[in-house]
Amino acid sequence: MIIQILKRMAFALTLLLVQVLILDQIHPLGYGAPLLCPLIVITLPLGTSRIAAMLWGFGLGFIADIFAGTSGISSAALTFIAFVQPPLLEFMAPRDSEEELQPSFSSMGRWNYLRFICLLLLLHHIVYFALEGFSYFFIKDIAISMGVSYVASLFLIILAERIRNPQK
Amino acid sequence: MHDFIERISVYVHWAIFLLLEVLSGFLLFQYNHYQGSVWFTEANIVAATVHDWEAGVLAYLRMPAENAALVRRNVILQQKLDVLRHELSIARADTSLTEKKQAELLEGMRLIPAQIASNSIRKRDNMIVINVGSNEGVAPEMGVVSGTGVVGIVSAVTPRHALVMSILNSHSSISCRLRGTEYFGYLKWKGGRPLRAYMDDVPRHAHIKKGDIVETSGFSAVFPAGIFLGKVAQIKNSSDGLAYELEILLSTDLSNIRQVNVIADQGKEEIDSLLRQ
Repeated sequence: MIIQILKRMAFALTLLLVQVLILDQIHPLGYGAPLLCPLIVITLPLGTSRIAAMLWGFGLGFIADIFAGTSGISSAALTFIAFVQPPLLEFMAPRDSEEELQPSFSSMGRWNYLRFICLLLLLHHIVYFALEGFSYFFIKDIAISMGVSYVASLFLIILAERIRNPQK
Repeated sequence: MHDFIERISVYVHWAIFLLLEVLSGFLLFQYNHYQGSVWFTEANIVAATVHDWEAGVLAYLRMPAENAALVRRNVILQQKLDVLRHELSIARADTSLTEKKQAELLEGMRLIPAQIASNSIRKRDNMIVINVGSNEGVAPEMGVVSGTGVVGIVSAVTPRHALVMSILNSHSSISCRLRGTEYFGYLKWKGGRPLRAYMDDVPRHAHIKKGDIVETSGFSAVFPAGIFLGKVAQIKNSSDGLAYELEILLSTDLSNIRQVNVIADQGKEEIDSLLRQ
């Protein structure tokens, strides 16, 4: 149990460093940066309580916010998807899956897991860019930023998942 | 009673969800006004230190390009120096009182060199963190310039870092004028492209053409007069049709700067105290 939590913290720290040091500096086509942090919430195992999930989401978001100067935005968005993740995972996990199923391409099936990622990431981006939009003026800008960041984030998350669990 | 508690506990995650979201909202609205919140932004010690390391590594990687730019800049300055020397030798013949004063003003100015620790250009209100602070004598309201022109104005300081309101910030407003004329206005940024800003309130009878140079006016006491801001890219009518609104191509590409200088102008306090009277 403790080992699991420590492992997860190390994973979160790695994601944070990649986000802050590399991804926050990239703006594809001059728009929103790719966001990798949702991955930590997406991969919470089956059976995680909603409260624990939300604490993970909020804590990670809070730290990401401090580094990116977007106080409150990441924490709100990550808390939101952490609230949705446990029931969604229960719904989308295969019937006969083990109790502490770790969401991944191999454990949930390729398309099923991809759908799961797309859905959670979309919810995250909607909340994130709607809140960031308070400081923007143009709805068009928000929409383009969101779209560009969504595609870039999705690509990176799938890449990260492939690296973490290489399939045979 | 037991039944009641059990029923309530089913909904406890909703309560926590709302609590965390309200907390996020509080952070969002409370701390996104950068000026009052050095601690919860990039300027806090831990975040700024990490950004410092990163900036150090990036600065090292970019050294060849920076060097080339510096050499080029040096050559240009050297040429300018030659031209100015020549002009000075002519002007020495009749040095007027105003010229003397101008020279004195520039002499009293101290420049504090700094490196950018973190920077953004994609937000509506962009801020920059630099690696000098009150220990080096930086104070709020001081101007920040780079080799190519104005960068922003210091808005808050910690002992080792300072938060600078970049010209790419919707709250930024820099007093400027057209070089060679006395027409002045305020330079503002309206979001979007990081090289485009606007100067408004230019009277319709002013003779302006594309390519005219825009520089600081020196009225605001933050920047001395004559610092390069950019060139006129387009001349448009203001929204009320009574004046021109000039689209300015900024001279400083904020997405690509590492080294800046803070103008620690000793004369500034005197002007400020005069304005307050």
